[in-house]
Amino acid sequence: MVFSGIPFLYYFLPCVILVYLAVPKRLKNTVLLLFSLLFYAWGEPKYVFLMMATIAINYGLALLIEKCKGKPLSKLFMIVATVINLGFLGYFKYADFFIANFNRVTGLSAPLLHVVLPIGISFYTFQTLSYVIDVYRSNTHAQKNPITLATYVVLFPQLIAGPIVRYVDVERELTNREHSFEKVSQGIRRFIVGLSKKVLLANTLGEFCTAFLAAGDKSVLFYWLYVFAYMLQVYFDFSGYSDMAIGLGKIFAFDFLENFNYPFISKSISEFWRRWHMSLGSWFRDYVYIPMGGNRVRRGRMLFNIFTVWFLTGFWHGAEWNFIVWGLYFGVLLALEKFFFGKTLERFKTIGHIYVLFFVAISFAIFGAGSMTEAISHVGGMFGAGGLPMVSEGFWYYLKSYGVVMIIAILAATPLPKLLLEKCRKNKTVSAVWDVLEIPLLVCLLLLATAYLADGAFNPFLYFRF
Amino acid sequence: MNNKRKNIITTFIFSFLLLCISVLCIVKPAEVFSESERRELASFPNFSVSTFASGEFAQNFETYATERFPYRDMFRSVKAWFSKTVFKKLDNNGLFVAEGHISKLDSEENPQMMDHAAERFAYLYNTYMKDKNTNVYFSVIPDKNFLLASPNGYPSLDYRAFTEKIKEKTSYMTYIDVTDLLGLEDYYTTDSHWRQEKIIDIAEKIGTAMGVDVSAAYKENKLDYPFYGVYAGQLALPTKSDEIVYLTNDTLDACCVTYYDTGIGKEGLLYNMEKAYGKDPYEMFLSGTTPLVTIENPNAKTDKELVIFRDSFGSSLAPLLAEGYAKITVVDIRYVQSAFVGNLVEFENCDVLFVYSTSLLNNSLAMR
Repeated sequence: MVFSGIPFLYYFLPCVILVYLAVPKRLKNTVLLLFSLLFYAWGEPKYVFLMMATIAINYGLALLIEKCKGKPLSKLFMIVATVINLGFLGYFKYADFFIANFNRVTGLSAPLLHVVLPIGISFYTFQTLSYVIDVYRSNTHAQKNPITLATYVVLFPQLIAGPIVRYVDVERELTNREHSFEKVSQGIRRFIVGLSKKVLLANTLGEFCTAFLAAGDKSVLFYWLYVFAYMLQVYFDFSGYSDMAIGLGKIFAFDFLENFNYPFISKSISEFWRRWHMSLGSWFRDYVYIPMGGNRVRRGRMLFNIFTVWFLTGFWHGAEWNFIVWGLYFGVLLALEKFFFGKTLERFKTIGHIYVLFFVAISFAIFGAGSMTEAISHVGGMFGAGGLPMVSEGFWYYLKSYGVVMIIAILAATPLPKLLLEKCRKNKTVSAVWDVLEIPLLVCLLLLATAYLADGAFNPFLYFRF
Repeated sequence: MNNKRKNIITTFIFSFLLLCISVLCIVKPAEVFSESERRELASFPNFSVSTFASGEFAQNFETYATERFPYRDMFRSVKAWFSKTVFKKLDNNGLFVAEGHISKLDSEENPQMMDHAAERFAYLYNTYMKDKNTNVYFSVIPDKNFLLASPNGYPSLDYRAFTEKIKEKTSYMTYIDVTDLLGLEDYYTTDSHWRQEKIIDIAEKIGTAMGVDVSAAYKENKLDYPFYGVYAGQLALPTKSDEIVYLTNDTLDACCVTYYDTGIGKEGLLYNMEKAYGKDPYEMFLSGTTPLVTIENPNAKTDKELVIFRDSFGSSLAPLLAEGYAKITVVDIRYVQSAFVGNLVEFENCDVLFVYSTSLLNNSLAMR
């Protein structure tokens, strides 16, 4: 089930809220767990058993890790947990990728497994990994109540598209959280804003991206228009989902960490990655990069660490070579910034902005492709490969048709609207007007998003590969 | 307003709104048939352990919940209005309005579909006509984007190139070009089809090309019912209605029309008045989607026979060719397999006309 759908909004969500409110505090986690399992089982019930097996294994191993604290067995159990978690991920997500490449290299024809990827496996695997590693590192205690741990792993707001919530960040709220109108109201606002970002902006831009891919009269400018639209689509889709997750979390009194912070205003790629999918970036930093020695090693080793992390980051996003190249591409840029021109970028801010947008645009041409061949074709198209014309009829049409949405999206991808509102609200009259208008505006946004959904308009789910 | 009160109001308003819509979804789903989109909407899916386990229930329920959303037409209109007015999008779900006409973006040539259509035509020709004494003609009817899209800045199929390609693939037929006689006013403003009362000259040109005089005087009959074509509902914005005019004269009145929906002939009328007041009034012409129809003209000056392979554009054209033929057999190979046509139609000494719109040739999967 996805947040941006009628079944979730008007069937699932009212039910879960009503039941959640009706039960006493001691049963609230059980209600969240059961509804989360239903949420996950919707459309793909068989993988609920995989999920439950993951929970049971991590529950048991975390208790053993804690029990054997200070002994070598503790490390062994942590390694076993890591191997099992990554084993599940490797089998379900990467098996066919490895087999296909093995076949390509050896000329053999080992049969592919055609395993269907369980939705959200990359997200919840990283959550369970962080949990057992944190127990091993004594950053937290092993959870003795299996329902509490299971609630953490399958909690529906963050289950299928993140953010990657670490156990330590919600440990207290899992056992003792305070509900308040303030949190619920904040959650509602955040959820509606996220839903609007996804349905009104991301889906509309997605319509254009789909039309571009099907269009016959491509041109250089058409490619650039597509790449920028695709960047914005992914941003509003992903950050919209994160907003909805954070909002839903607040409704149920959880505080999830932010996942996006206006990444397109960055002046360097390092800054971009501190603002884009922050929960993933910080996960790799804390559980891969720093344990490998991080920056406090020789230059060669640091380079190795950087490329390992970015290889894994790319591979995490999908089992295709274009994702690996995409990750390594950022690794190269980050290494160049670290060793060569990072300081220069800090001094020339405008150049920094242009540099980020240019290289991030190219990265999205790679990211959005279905294969490496397609990625090369997209990047080539942006630079006129194959004698592509500069403009075409399609470019002008789609520029006119989607220009306003793109302008709105560009503005909304910056902190400008927020800053403007904050500035205006310093004026008492404006603040009073805003107080009155905010609720009707949110109602309108919800109804408008509903109108788009009821129309059956384009509504893709981008995370099936994650 | 203090924050505490605002938080409480926000919480209650949204809880109430969510609950109300949720209750409406359960107690008042939209009608099973969508008048505006002219299609059956999804029904509540069958629930069983196996349909749930396979994901079929979930998938079908999502379709059901979306399509049967209460007041869906109103929500669709809100979406269309917002998309047009605020986002300034030039099309809504691929439909656009220009020069008072609604049309659908269809700018991508689909070579596989064109090949499929050409292959079906070649099969019919080789199986039934090649060794018979038949004269075979072909005419492509461009959809209204031919006149509307490009001049108004919308992406457009290259109609001339498209026609040249299909002509090349069907070089065994004599091509009749009617594009010079087509104007935007020949098409309905809210529908994809052409107006019967505007294509008399086209029928005459086709007749002349086939060596037959089909010219006749007709009486124009206006249907006393506003016609909202297929695009009007899909656009989901307020639109002016069209008017259906159908042509009659003594020859057409005397014609004997037989429909072969099941292989057994059943007498009917050229213009089906029941369908004229039904879901799609354009279906009044030769009763719309029918596999095979014969029109016999007892007053014909010759004993010539014509077989027309056609899509829905041919429904309104066929009666206008009746003047020159003793019998016209109208075949739609979307509803009858090409392999069975020989059981129902005799091709010896016939004229054969293939008349198809570009939109069907470019999306010909239904041709069997």
